[in-house]
Amino acid sequence: MSSDGSSNGSSNGSPTLTLDGKVVPFETGETLYEVARRHTSDVPTLCYDERLEAFGACRLCVVEIEGFRSPVASCTTHAAHGMNVQTKTEKLEKHRKTLMELVCSENPRGVEIDPMRGHASQEMTDLAQRYAVDGTRFEGAQSGQSHPDDPNPMILRDYDHCISCYRCVRVCAEQEGDYAISIANRGFQTQITTEFNGFLKGSECTFCGQCVQTCPTGALADNRALQHTREPGEVELTRSICPFCGVGCSVDIMSKGDKLVGVRPAMDGPANEGALCVKGQFGWEWVQHPERLKNPMVRKDGVLVEASWDEALDRAAEGFRRVRDTHGRHAIYGVASGRAPHESAFSVQKFIRAGFGTNQIDNCSRA
Amino acid sequence: MAHINPSGDQELIERWRDQPASLLPLLHAFHDRDGYLSDDALRAVASGLRIPIADLYGTVTFYHHFARVKGGKARPRVCDGPVCKLQGCDELIVGLDGATAMPCAGRCDGPIPVLQDDEVLIGTQPGALTAAPPLVPPPNPGGIDECVFAEVRDPRRKTLAGYRESGGYRALSRAVREMTPEQVLDVVSGSGLTGRGGASFPTALKWRAVREAGGGPKTVVCNADEGEPGCFQDRVLMDLDPHAILEGMTLAAFATGATRGFIYLRYEYPATQGVLETAIEEARAAELLGTSVLGTELTFDIHVRRGAGAYICGEETSLLNSLEGKHPFPRNRPPYPVTNGFEGTPTAVNNVETLASVPPIVDRGAEWYAGLGAGEHKGTKIISLSGDVARPGNYEVPIGIPLKTVLYDWAGGAPEGRTVQAVTMAGLSGGFLGAEDIEEATLDEPSMRARGSLLGAGGVMVFDDSRDMVEIARQAMSFFAHESCGKCFPCRIGTQRLTERLAGVAGPKEPELWKAEVEDIGRTMAAVSACGLGVAAPGITGSLMRLFPEQVDAHVNGQRK
Repeated sequence: MSSDGSSNGSSNGSPTLTLDGKVVPFETGETLYEVARRHTSDVPTLCYDERLEAFGACRLCVVEIEGFRSPVASCTTHAAHGMNVQTKTEKLEKHRKTLMELVCSENPRGVEIDPMRGHASQEMTDLAQRYAVDGTRFEGAQSGQSHPDDPNPMILRDYDHCISCYRCVRVCAEQEGDYAISIANRGFQTQITTEFNGFLKGSECTFCGQCVQTCPTGALADNRALQHTREPGEVELTRSICPFCGVGCSVDIMSKGDKLVGVRPAMDGPANEGALCVKGQFGWEWVQHPERLKNPMVRKDGVLVEASWDEALDRAAEGFRRVRDTHGRHAIYGVASGRAPHESAFSVQKFIRAGFGTNQIDNCSRA
Repeated sequence: MAHINPSGDQELIERWRDQPASLLPLLHAFHDRDGYLSDDALRAVASGLRIPIADLYGTVTFYHHFARVKGGKARPRVCDGPVCKLQGCDELIVGLDGATAMPCAGRCDGPIPVLQDDEVLIGTQPGALTAAPPLVPPPNPGGIDECVFAEVRDPRRKTLAGYRESGGYRALSRAVREMTPEQVLDVVSGSGLTGRGGASFPTALKWRAVREAGGGPKTVVCNADEGEPGCFQDRVLMDLDPHAILEGMTLAAFATGATRGFIYLRYEYPATQGVLETAIEEARAAELLGTSVLGTELTFDIHVRRGAGAYICGEETSLLNSLEGKHPFPRNRPPYPVTNGFEGTPTAVNNVETLASVPPIVDRGAEWYAGLGAGEHKGTKIISLSGDVARPGNYEVPIGIPLKTVLYDWAGGAPEGRTVQAVTMAGLSGGFLGAEDIEEATLDEPSMRARGSLLGAGGVMVFDDSRDMVEIARQAMSFFAHESCGKCFPCRIGTQRLTERLAGVAGPKEPELWKAEVEDIGRTMAAVSACGLGVAAPGITGSLMRLFPEQVDAHVNGQRK
């Protein structure tokens, strides 16, 4: 019980600790990983996602603290005033290499992970390169069993690449609140599962895709994006706002040339912090669908034909007027789109109330 | 328990829903009623206790004794612990219809135990299994004063009346009527009692931390998940002296301010659950438990909760998660259970032997107990001795006594014509000791740690000179791999890789490369694993390579005998 996690601070001002020989301040309640990450970018980890509760599974982020017998996981250890912390000794780097050799040994060797699989899909590959590990040492049985039979078109469940960091299970529970997936069995037999090991479709899964985006190995992958792997060109990311509803989730739209090939949640999006729903994550194919309407259409002699905006709006106004004049103002019912932001919804109700004189106003999201 | 329960789903749910630590007993109620846990049963439990179904499914599959196929609970499970391997459990498994192996079931001092439904049978031949009697420790061999074993050989001790006749509940009566909690803490502190489950943490220090912690209700948990292969002393104490554990827990409650208690009992001891529950009923009826213990203001009650097969649940934070119905991964520490234990409240988790030691300590005084140790060591420890030894069994020894005294003088050494090649310590967690260590070591933590080993929970398994130590090590590592929870990488993958290398199914064929791999894995596991399982497991390979390098070379070169 040598560290009780308290960090009451120095007598004058904020508490400090020594990090790799440098005295640095920290805020009470911060973990050593959080403090270290501010000052050095290279404390490795595979099970950490800053949005989730620290879990302490991969042990790659271990650091040495003076006076402690063994290294501790920095992600689960609170900073305490006066600690003397080393993040990159020869011993630690040796442990990290061994850990990477172990974790690479449980997955298929020499398989390139397509970056289109997901936001974090290169974390494992990058660390393997950093520690010059190719999966040949510590050879033995492979863990995890892929679920290629899961018929859903959105999430690829390629568990051969799973390293049991449980980021998917934790993001599903802690961020999305779905609890659709969990951990079956123990030890090396551990397997990510739904209830009774069924398909995602029959589970509580809402296909928000957050498990895909936090997966550090690409074991869970964006199957929609993967359909465009063979398209020529480099993936370009364009920051935008999801058009589906008024929340305003930030997205990075993936494109190759003129073609949209996928959507990623922006981890730094102020409204969503890396979250999306099924529509924002996977429902983008309509954008380049051949049947998508790109111009206003009006019916002439019973046939829909292209029209200018002026013509179309005149036609709509005429229709509203006719209904009001024939059936009275209460024959009008306004339904604002759930995709409209707050301000637009306000305008629609103003338009219906002030323009037509009826309170029959609603929003499609209410259904 | 064993009775057939015709109750409907809703009745079972209502029986347990509002009880503390309700998930395990509710799952057992369905498991007992149906003989397995069906999908429908899990759906009923999930909706009854408002647990996400995927979560519950995952948690249930964590425990190896919950059967998930119809008729599964009644299928025989045969102990394949290291000592039962010596007795031919593999043949027994083949010979018994539908039998599967289970990890050490805690009867290493007798014939192979077979768990069938809620009955433990023993034997070595499929057609000749008999009911398992409680095993009484051999008569006090050293003639030295005992603490927890002083009265257990008397069959009357099991009942409340018999327990009281031999001085039982005298300590509790005196404590609640004449002593302050502080005085009880002082006595326990002065006795030098430390955790007998293996961690050796000073008991009074733990209790004082719970007493001083804010918040509540406070809880005392008796860790009766005795899962370490080669350890079977807690079973004996619970079977023969259940009231000693209840009295120890109630004294702990008095000292800490706890109002509720749990005994977390391993699945493999079904009869013990009945013994404990009967004792609890007796104690409640005699106002030794309940809202006014012995007419005083002390309120304390005890609930027995049965585990479902998972060694890691003997790790105290896994145990707490298991009690709470969560996935039984160990928790990150700090915070520790003394401040954030059961449901986040201050909790003292103590081992069976530790708790059973408390009544005699409070009754006879700190000096008496401290004086039972050898030399400067304080108190006693039960050593579970099994394997290639003439008189296996539980021996209560003065801490600090030479290992060879117990092994040779008390237990008779190796069988006729054989010599002792090695012993394991702390069950398996202390690795192997070789001939030289056995000659010099004393049974105390400093002596053991100086030899890179542990006294731990006190299991000592003996292997004579005919045994293949690489194979013994493989069995040991295979146990750790089977029981690794799967949370931290070094243990989850490391135990698997070490098992494969000891089995010769993977890994380098060149001894130097083989040893380098095994050493590297072991070093990292020992240094950075998240809990004691992963830290201790490589003690097996480390001591194997140190003590038996020729056997290791022969194994890697494919020339094993």
